[in-house]
Parts: sequence; C-alpha cells; structure tokens
Amino acid sequence: MQPQPTDSAPAPRNEPVVPFLEVRDIEKRFGGVRALKGVSLSIEAGNIYHLMGENGCGKSTLIKIISGAQAADAGALLIDGKPVEQLTPVAALAAGIETVYQDFSLLPNLSVAENIGLTQQLVASSGKLARRLDIPKMRETAERALAAVGLKADRSFLSTRTDELPMATRQLIAIARAIASDARLVIMDEPTTALTKPEVDNLIGVVDRLRAKGVAVLFVTHKLDECKSLGGRAIIMRDGQKVAECAVESHSKADLAFWMTGRVLDDARQRSTVTAREGLLDVERLSRTGFFSDVSFSLGKGEIVGVTGLLDSGRNELALALAGVNPADQGQVRLEGKPIALEKPTNAIASGIGYVPEDRLSEGLFLSQSIRDNIVVPVLDRLRNAIGVVDGRRARALAERTVADLQVASAGVDKPVQSLSGGNQQRVLIGRWLTINPKLLILHGPTVGVDVGSKETIYRIIQRLADDGMGVLIISDDLPELLQNCDRIMVMRKGRVVKTFTAEGLAEDALYRALSDETIARLQ
Amino acid sequence: MTETTLPTTTPRAEGSGSMRGVWSWLLRHPPAFTLILIVAVSIVVGAINTDFWQMSNLFDILRASVVRGLFALGVLVVLASGGIDVSFTAIAAFVMYAVTMLVVNVVPDMPILAILVLGAAGGACFGALNGILVHTLRAPSLIVTIGTQYVIRSFLLTFVGTALFMNIPAAMDGFGKLALFTHHSANGSTSTLPAFVLVLAVASVVTWWILERTLIGRAVYAVGGNANVAERLGYNLRTVRIFVFAYAGLLAGIAGIIHVSSNRLANPFDLAGAELEIIAAVVLGGARITGGSGSVIGTLLGVVLITLVSNVLILVGIPSTWQLVIVGIFIILAGAIFSMRGRTS
Repeated sequence: MQPQPTDSAPAPRNEPVVPFLEVRDIEKRFGGVRALKGVSLSIEAGNIYHLMGENGCGKSTLIKIISGAQAADAGALLIDGKPVEQLTPVAALAAGIETVYQDFSLLPNLSVAENIGLTQQLVASSGKLARRLDIPKMRETAERALAAVGLKADRSFLSTRTDELPMATRQLIAIARAIASDARLVIMDEPTTALTKPEVDNLIGVVDRLRAKGVAVLFVTHKLDECKSLGGRAIIMRDGQKVAECAVESHSKADLAFWMTGRVLDDARQRSTVTAREGLLDVERLSRTGFFSDVSFSLGKGEIVGVTGLLDSGRNELALALAGVNPADQGQVRLEGKPIALEKPTNAIASGIGYVPEDRLSEGLFLSQSIRDNIVVPVLDRLRNAIGVVDGRRARALAERTVADLQVASAGVDKPVQSLSGGNQQRVLIGRWLTINPKLLILHGPTVGVDVGSKETIYRIIQRLADDGMGVLIISDDLPELLQNCDRIMVMRKGRVVKTFTAEGLAEDALYRALSDETIARLQ
Repeated sequence: MTETTLPTTTPRAEGSGSMRGVWSWLLRHPPAFTLILIVAVSIVVGAINTDFWQMSNLFDILRASVVRGLFALGVLVVLASGGIDVSFTAIAAFVMYAVTMLVVNVVPDMPILAILVLGAAGGACFGALNGILVHTLRAPSLIVTIGTQYVIRSFLLTFVGTALFMNIPAAMDGFGKLALFTHHSANGSTSTLPAFVLVLAVASVVTWWILERTLIGRAVYAVGGNANVAERLGYNLRTVRIFVFAYAGLLAGIAGIIHVSSNRLANPFDLAGAELEIIAAVVLGGARITGGSGSVIGTLLGVVLITLVSNVLILVGIPSTWQLVIVGIFIILAGAIFSMRGRTS
C-alpha cells in the first residue's frame, strides 16, 4: 500500500459535528468478486467531495449503495448519526440524497415538467403509486428548479419531451430534478463528460450555489483538473478500497493520479517534434450548410492535428463529413493528391480513412458481440476463404494480434466487448480501424469516459501510429489532451476555423480563450 | 408527452403554416393520421355506396367497436409500460364461458351489474398472474403471455366445457338487447344503438384518467420509456407490471361478458386469434410497440379504423378476403410514418 495522507478531520472544529452521511465498513460482492472491501467515509453538509478512482475501482458500486439502488452485504449507513436499516431509492430521496447519473437518467418519453416534478410526488407518497397526480404542483416544482439551474421555464419548454433536447440541457434538467426537493447531498456521477468548458463553468456556478445553501456535493470523477479547480476533499479509491482521503489543495495532481493508479503518470507532452512530411490530406473549402463552411486545411503523413470548439462549433459535423457519415455539400477532399468522394461511410473506408466515433457505445461497438467480431468487421471480405465463408482461424489470429498490439486487457477475444472497461473498449475500437491499415485515422473524443491510466496507453498508441506515418485527426474538447498529443490545433467557432495554433509551447488558457466569445469578436 | 394532456405542445415550425409545419405537427400527433385514414375511407366508401351513411351502418360500427375497444384499452396500457399481452382473448373466453356457466347453473337471477363485476374480477386475477410471472421470471411478456394464453384456453376446453350455451342468463340477454337509442329510418326499418356502448365510454374515460391524472399512470409511461431508469428513480416495477396486466385482464373480462350478451351465445372457441388485430389497432392509433407512448383517443380511433375496414368494404364490393390486405397496408403505412417521428427529432 502506498503512503496515505492521514488528516482525519476535514477541518479543525471545536465541537464534534454529526456528519450528514456516514458510511461504515461497506462490503459488496458480485459473485466471486469483492467490489467493495470495507469502505468508510463521511459526508458533511456544505462540503465538496471528489470520489476518484479508475474504472472498476468500486466507486460506482459505492454510489449505488448510497443512493439506495443496491444493498450492501455488510457495513452500516448512518444518516444524521442514525443507522438506516434498508435504504431504498425512495428512502434515499426522502433523506435528501439526490443523484445525477452519468447518463442523466431522464425518462425520454416524459416531459421536462414530469421528469423534474414526478420524483417529488413519488417521495411524498413514499413510493406508493395509487395517488392522484398534482399537476399544478408538479409544474410549480419544475419552474422553481429550472430557475435554480438557470433555465427558462415557459409552458412549451415544460411540456417538451426530454429526448428532443440537447445533451447539455438534459444534464441541467437532471440537476434541476436533483435539487427540486430539499436535497442535502447531491451526487454527480462524472457530470462533465458531455459538456464543453462554458457549460462546465455554468455547472460550477450551480455547485457553488448549492454549497452556499449547505448542501454537500459529491463528484464522482477521474478528471484531475476539474477536481483541482473546484477544491474540496478528495476520496480516492482503488481496487474496492479507499486508499486515500485528503484536501484537494494540499496535494498535487501527480499525487492524486499516483493514488488512483498506483503508477507514476506524466502529463507532459507526448509529442516529439517531427519535421519534413509528405502531404496526405487536403481539405479545400469544405462546407455543409447550417453546420460548417469554408473549412480548409492540410495534414501530412505522420502528423497529428487537433480540432476543438464548443458543441455548436461544427467540429462534430466536420468529423462526420470526413468519415462520410453526414457528407459535406461543397468543397473538395484530396487524399494523397487524389480527390475522393465521401458520400457514405464505405467511401471513407475504401479510401483509407478510419473513423472512431465519439459515442463508442451507441455508434461504435456491437456491445454484446465478441471482441473478435468487433475487430474484424471492416475486413470481413478480406477474411473470406475459397467458398466465401469467413475463415474463423484467420479472423481469430487477426483479432489476437490486434489485442496484443494495443494491450487490451481481456480474458480472450471471444468475450463480449461489454465485459471490458471503457479504456479497453476504446482500444478495441481503435484496433478495428487499424485492420484496414488506414492512411488517416479520425479520432472523435478518443478518451471520453476513459480513466487516467488507460488514457496514457491510448496516447502512446496514437503517437506510435503517427510515428509509423499515419495521419491522425483528433476532435476533442479535452484541451490538455490536444496539447499533449498534437502538432497543430485548429479552433472552430460557428462553423468556421477561426485560428490554428502550433501546439508546442502553447498554454492551455490561450487555447481556452480562443474558444470563448470575446477573443473571437476581436479577431473578426 | 401524450397528445391528450397537452394539446398545446406544438413545434415552433407550426406557426409558419407551411407544408413542413403541418407535416411535423402530424408526426407529433399520430392519432391525426388515423383520423385522416378514417375520413378518407368513409368518403371513398360513402361516395361509391350511399348506404354507408345509413344510421344503421353507423350503429353497427359502434356496436362492433365495443369489445375490440375494451381489449384495445387494455393492450394500450400494457404497451405503454413496454410490455405486450396476447393472452387477453383467452382470458375473455375463459371468463365469459365460466361466468355464464356459473350464472346459468347456480344463480340464474344474478343482476347484470354483479355479472360484470364478477367478469372483471376474474379477468383481473388472470391478468395479475401474467404480471407476477412477467416480473418474477424477468421474462419477455410476449413469451409469458403466449404461454398463459395456451394454458388458459386449454384449461377452459379441458376442464370447464366445450358445449355452447345457447340460452344465456336473462340478465345478460336483456343487457345485450337494451337500447340506448332507436332509429326509425324512412324505409320503415329500425336500428338500435345498444346501451353497452356506454361501457366502452366509461372504460375510456377511466383509462384516460388513470394514465394522465394518476401517479401510477405516469409510472406506466416511465417504465415504458426506460425501465432501468424508472427503477433507479424509485418507481416500483413490480407494482406497475402487475397493475398493467391486471388492468388489461379486467377489461378483457368485461369485454367477454359483453361479447356473450351481444351475441346471445357463449362459445368457448370464440375470440381466438383476434389478438393481433387488436394490437394492430392500438399501434394504428399511435402507440409504439416498444413502449412509452400511446393515448386513449388514438387507440379508440385505431379501433374505429379497423372496425370500419372490416365492416364496410363489403359495401363497395371488395370481397371480405381482401379486407386484411387493406388493414395490412394501413399498418405498414402507419409503421413507416410513425418511425419517421423518431428520426426527425
């Protein structure tokens, strides 16, 4: 075990304070796996906590137990110093424990007002369903909660189905639901994964207001930067145990990362300067009406170019156009000097462009299928034998080679992809595209939802591919990621490339400023 | 959000009044399509054969809609919760036959209200059994209800009886003949609107009220939208599942009693195979087979459309064997149009 920081009380106080929530020696097993091996922690009103750890460390299980979704096998939960026997979801809500899940957990077919207001009525009836609906109260609750998170609540917005809303709005609705009733602890499970920087800033504003009202906030995260900028206390888990707890300010990011992974990580630039490249990709005045216009750039063999921008900047659409998913309607794309048509994804694949989508769960992977089938899918016709049937042995060999090459931690290529952690799933997806030996690899949010240790492995893979002469385009809103990996970074705003930086020596805040309104206004 | 609670929910594009606005409004209001189809069929058939506009024909359609409508309301509630039920016709057949037998042999002077309550209770018990099985086995409801359908039907024919009851109890006979409204046409013939259409009216209002104005109703849609999320948010899946299947069974029981009263015959072989037609009617009314949507008004329109097609095509010389072709085309059309709703958002 690593050295642990040992400050036991969060802050020196004169009288003993009963914490809002105390978790004592919680154990949880799933089959033969001990997911939690005796975890204890306490949460006090008005504080910010960061529950940190890599995927699979048990932090999600702990959250499920605190929010009543699962029962612990052993240990005790105390709310206001009183032991709680059986914590159901409704009992947890009644006690003021609210959770904003990573997937937001909104009901897609119900209205905004219902998503926010129904929970309170459910708690009021202690989970009993044979009750009349109090529609005026539901609307009033929703209006109040939406105002608290800075959303305007007119009638048509209140009656909109939540699946018709953009991601950032959905998240605010999930937060509004959490604070609609008298929340005392708001748990936010990786709240910033789907958000861009201004949206994160808005979220931080909401958190500050909650804290001012004496509400405790528990972030579940593995983003060290955000943890440092928010402050509060870090609770670090690894392998089902709490390995450290400390004030965020008192330790460096390197310390936190070390406790999370048990390894020394380095966030220095991965990229070594390379010069004199052959041309690979030339994009000329590419436009897709309503999304982006007049985008021109070129990318050489072995070069890594980053694209960033806010959610509505057109960066996602640019990536999809180059992948042939949503074709551009004007402009030209040349690969190695030859113009290519990108009307559909098969065109891109045939030209040697691999695209790793942002949402690997819904756009990239066949989750219930084996790792092997996921990897060999683009080259099935190459694996055909004489009678046109896929040669199982060659497919397996190819998959095993890829898995070994990308260091995917798995129990064999026949296991379903959903049995892997996020970082390993992402490597399977990258591995799939390596089977076609792409000339250009487009990575869309390559480390979204991937933990710190895995991130580094993915970065090393990206660097190695570029060293071998592959052109790489990274679309991401993770600015440190771009700074660590790219040669050049293009900033998009309102569908246009507004600035291109050389990444070496660039400071993160200079890049961040280029995303925001003022700078752009000055540039134009 | 369903159409019935918030008719003001309209996309912003609608204000322009353009074709596009009308189209997107229609996509958000599937029952409007059903209504358009009903109007179109009526106009075409009515233009070819003016007999269509006879009061007696209207009454026939309403009469034939009652049993279907009761079944369909039950299917709507199950579909909205993300499940599917194909056992309701077997439940109705069992309940109608067993209750008729009981009344004839044991209490011949039982009043109709008591008979209806008995039928509803019997149906609800079978339905609750479906719900318990679906919940505890965590099995797909289609599979479970195919199973219970066979078991119930076979149990009925093996242990209860196979002989037809030609002389049904007086109370049921009287209920079937009771007229709400009698129309004397110019040519001297009379046609009656049976009083039991009121049962469908009451059942529709009650179903609407449950779905839109109670917590369990919203819970049904919540579970149909995403059962995992709903469970995490504290909705009791067991309660919801047992409720929806019991409610479908209850309506099926009442439908069985009305079926016997209306036909003056209790035939244990009746109603078999009508399941898909009812499910189709509900889907034509805008409910998604994947759950989480659907409305009472849409369901009623779907039932009227199906009944219309099966009753009136004969008036324009289309052989009855062709009816199913028309119904099939409508279903495919509705399926295609409603799936666009998902793609546009």
